[in-house]
Amino acid sequence: MSGTPVRAMVRSPFVLVVGVILTWFIAAFLVWPNINVLIATFFPDGSFSGRAAEKLFSSQRAMKALGNSFLLAVALSITVNAVGIFIVLVTYYFRIRGSRILFLGYATTFIYGGIVLAAGYKFIYGDKGIVTSLLLQVFPSMDPAWFSGFFAVLVVMTFATTTNHMLFVANALKGVDYQTIEAAKNLGASTWTILRRIVLPMLKPTLFAVTILSFLTGLGALSAPQVLGGREFQTITPMILTFTNSPTSRDLAALLAVILGLATMVMLAVMSRLEKGGTYFSVSKVSSELQKQDITNPVANVAVHAVAYLLFAVYTLPVVLIVLYSFADGAAIQTGQLSPGSLTLDNYVRVLTQPAGLRPFVVSVVYSALAAVIAVGGLLFVARLLQKYRNWVASVFEYLLHIPWILPSALLALGLIISYDHPNPLVGGAVLTGTTVILLIAFVTVKIPFTLRMLKASFASVNSSLEEAAAIMGAKTLYVFRRILLPLVLPAAAAITALNFNSLLDDYDTAIFLAHPLVQPLGLVIKANTDGAEGTEGVANTFVYTVLLMVITGVTMYLVYGRSGRRRNRKRLPAVPPSGSIDATDVPPAAGSTASGADSRVPAAPVR
Amino acid sequence: MRKLQTLVAAAVAVTLLAGCGGEAAPGASGEASSAPAGGSGDTLVVYTNSNGEGRGDWLTQKAGEAGFKIEIVGAGGADATNKLIAEKNNPIADVAFGLNNMYFSQVKAADALEPYKPAWAGEVDTQLADGETYWPLVKQAILLGYNSDKFSKDAAPKDWTDLWTKDEFKARYERVTGLGTATAQLVFAGILSRYRDDSGDLGISDEGWKQVEQYFQNGSPAVAKTDLFARIASGEVDMGQMPSSIIADREKSFKVNVDTVIPSVGVPLAVEQIALVKGTKKKDQAQKFIDWFGSADVQGQFAKQFNSMPVNKSAQAQANPEVVDFFADLKQQDIDWEFVQENMGAWVEKIELEYMT
Repeated sequence: MSGTPVRAMVRSPFVLVVGVILTWFIAAFLVWPNINVLIATFFPDGSFSGRAAEKLFSSQRAMKALGNSFLLAVALSITVNAVGIFIVLVTYYFRIRGSRILFLGYATTFIYGGIVLAAGYKFIYGDKGIVTSLLLQVFPSMDPAWFSGFFAVLVVMTFATTTNHMLFVANALKGVDYQTIEAAKNLGASTWTILRRIVLPMLKPTLFAVTILSFLTGLGALSAPQVLGGREFQTITPMILTFTNSPTSRDLAALLAVILGLATMVMLAVMSRLEKGGTYFSVSKVSSELQKQDITNPVANVAVHAVAYLLFAVYTLPVVLIVLYSFADGAAIQTGQLSPGSLTLDNYVRVLTQPAGLRPFVVSVVYSALAAVIAVGGLLFVARLLQKYRNWVASVFEYLLHIPWILPSALLALGLIISYDHPNPLVGGAVLTGTTVILLIAFVTVKIPFTLRMLKASFASVNSSLEEAAAIMGAKTLYVFRRILLPLVLPAAAAITALNFNSLLDDYDTAIFLAHPLVQPLGLVIKANTDGAEGTEGVANTFVYTVLLMVITGVTMYLVYGRSGRRRNRKRLPAVPPSGSIDATDVPPAAGSTASGADSRVPAAPVR
Repeated sequence: MRKLQTLVAAAVAVTLLAGCGGEAAPGASGEASSAPAGGSGDTLVVYTNSNGEGRGDWLTQKAGEAGFKIEIVGAGGADATNKLIAEKNNPIADVAFGLNNMYFSQVKAADALEPYKPAWAGEVDTQLADGETYWPLVKQAILLGYNSDKFSKDAAPKDWTDLWTKDEFKARYERVTGLGTATAQLVFAGILSRYRDDSGDLGISDEGWKQVEQYFQNGSPAVAKTDLFARIASGEVDMGQMPSSIIADREKSFKVNVDTVIPSVGVPLAVEQIALVKGTKKKDQAQKFIDWFGSADVQGQFAKQFNSMPVNKSAQAQANPEVVDFFADLKQQDIDWEFVQENMGAWVEKIELEYMT
């Protein structure tokens, strides 16, 4: 699609209306608050000083941590792809016995992550873990603390972040035209050749995309290094969080966040450049649905089955243990001693019978749902326009909409407070602090970049001839949008809504600053019940909340992916694969969030 | 196919929206019941970092019995401080409590506190606060505790500095991995204050910074979400920092015995305070609440319930006698809080950047 002149663009009333609203929103909620907070941060006395850069670059620890974050990012890009492609192939491409069950195991990363996930792996491979104890019986001389440092962090994060592969690569795989595979087979190509020469090349754009995601998840790593990194492998995010909290060091936090944010943007730019070179989309108009392949070589078949089930165990064990431990008392969780007799419902009773009760859950569900729906609903129009019109105005808007990726969410929140704690003409002279609206605004803004990228991708995959046909028959812009485009992107939009919803449920960083005192969301309650009191109940509560959130996110994911996914398998492939054709520019990076401390649950990472 | 997908998507959307619609009602009614006078009505909004382990719920209930409608907003010490400062132009909170003098002096410096002299001002040691805006409630000693099953009183360290100067303690003590918590900051306030040197970097002599360096080099880094007591129980480490109020409880949970070190210079005290937020629209009510909460009777009940050490002298009769005795014998370290508060931000930054390995 070639560029559309700006003049032609503004001739459409639809564009004008969306443009005016968008300009206001960007100015009021993306640019103004963040300029305020950055000015307050970098020019505290009205003059700029190079202090932050000087301090950071002369700090060995900061540089090492930054280096570790980048190292992890690069390593993850490789390992997550290896594991991710494998699990996608065994669940969707090869005929593997019990692939449904395997899928459930691999999909566990959809519903949990963060500190509890890291703790789950520690229960198994840590110095007092189950596997370590077994290994010690076989090799008494081995180091019980073998599972720590870079290696352990890499392993845990690799298995924790294959979510993107299960969502996006799997979708792309479903879009591969089976006729090409059949043709190759008829020509005598082996399983391996078909995989290497036909299937994987078709997946390339999506693989580019999820590679960036993995890179960014690595950059923002927080809890896995904290739990398993030990002295040798600490990353930069904890330091960003500490400095964000200290008014006198906030400039350091902002600078670090900006460095990571820029890395994100550079990565995106490079990938979109790479992408432009090739044509990967060969989805034919009369494609036929992919059929599962047998692995003909019996040795390979056995080996693949074995690895698949081994991975299944690796994925599933931590979840099982977390659920089990959520019934144990805090001391048992921390010392790793679990006896069947000590499992009680006490933790759940304590958490669920607090005076606040279910109210925080309700508040969070409402806020998250509203924010998810508004972000997706609003951006449907914007994404459509940005995808249709390619000119400098559109590019400027697009880049501005990515601002929330660059700053940590605590800074975004502070920016909103200092900008709207007095009557401000940008919002019609209203004061926003202390209202219930301000948190909703923040929730919507932080979800904008991811939503925009994913929606743009799904609009890009819409066959433009449908739209042209409608237009020729006299349909108006809005009619085309409502009757032709919307139904086509709705499945993707619903999926994005669900991901946004899940990731906002336990938000703390934004809510702590913006929540209305009488309408406090779950994140604050979780924090109150798990922090400071790390002793006994606090840790047990963390596990209970994790399990409760697993249930909510599990249900959401089932509603969106589980059911539609199954239907998709049964029925014919749509002419337009849902979100199979994401190009690398349309990546939902995790960065920016890098510094938000929001990897509390991993699904949040890809979703930001 | 497409129809089905759309249906599913629509179903999800409807579910979500129904969620909103359906839930909005109880949410709104809940709000209404707690705030009859519209908006936040006469409900006092109370910021605190001391709401964990049931304190917030206890206080809400007791306050309700005394005729105060309060809504507690819990946040970590640093978060609550930042929030109070950020909101100073249009405050949401009416009262803040639980933050220690370091945090409150930051809030005061940002001009976000309203001077108020509570009715019980005469019953507390005003030296523990600023005597103007924030007033002391609860004392907390920041201690070095050790596993007393492993070390006898004689064999135990006598001061923090022993940890990195004597070989038998090296790698046996837990050191922090971040300075975000009040406890950690107070430990360093206690250590660095001893090396005050106005010509040194950030007011501390080179010798002082060397102590910090040694502390980090020789300690065993804390493990996220693993309590020090859990590590003591498993034998990973034998000692580390702990606030006085948690010890009894943790000893029981983890089945360990811990004794504490009282260095000859004394121990740093964290004093949790209460203050009136500047610009509150419910000043009268908020002042009454402060008068009520700091009173001997309420502080006594609070102390009894949560094993804390009340500052209010008349409340000490109700507190756990063991706790009162402990504090009676305790030598308080003489710390220039103004100096500490001025420099803490820069100290934390320097330590994070240069010494934490």
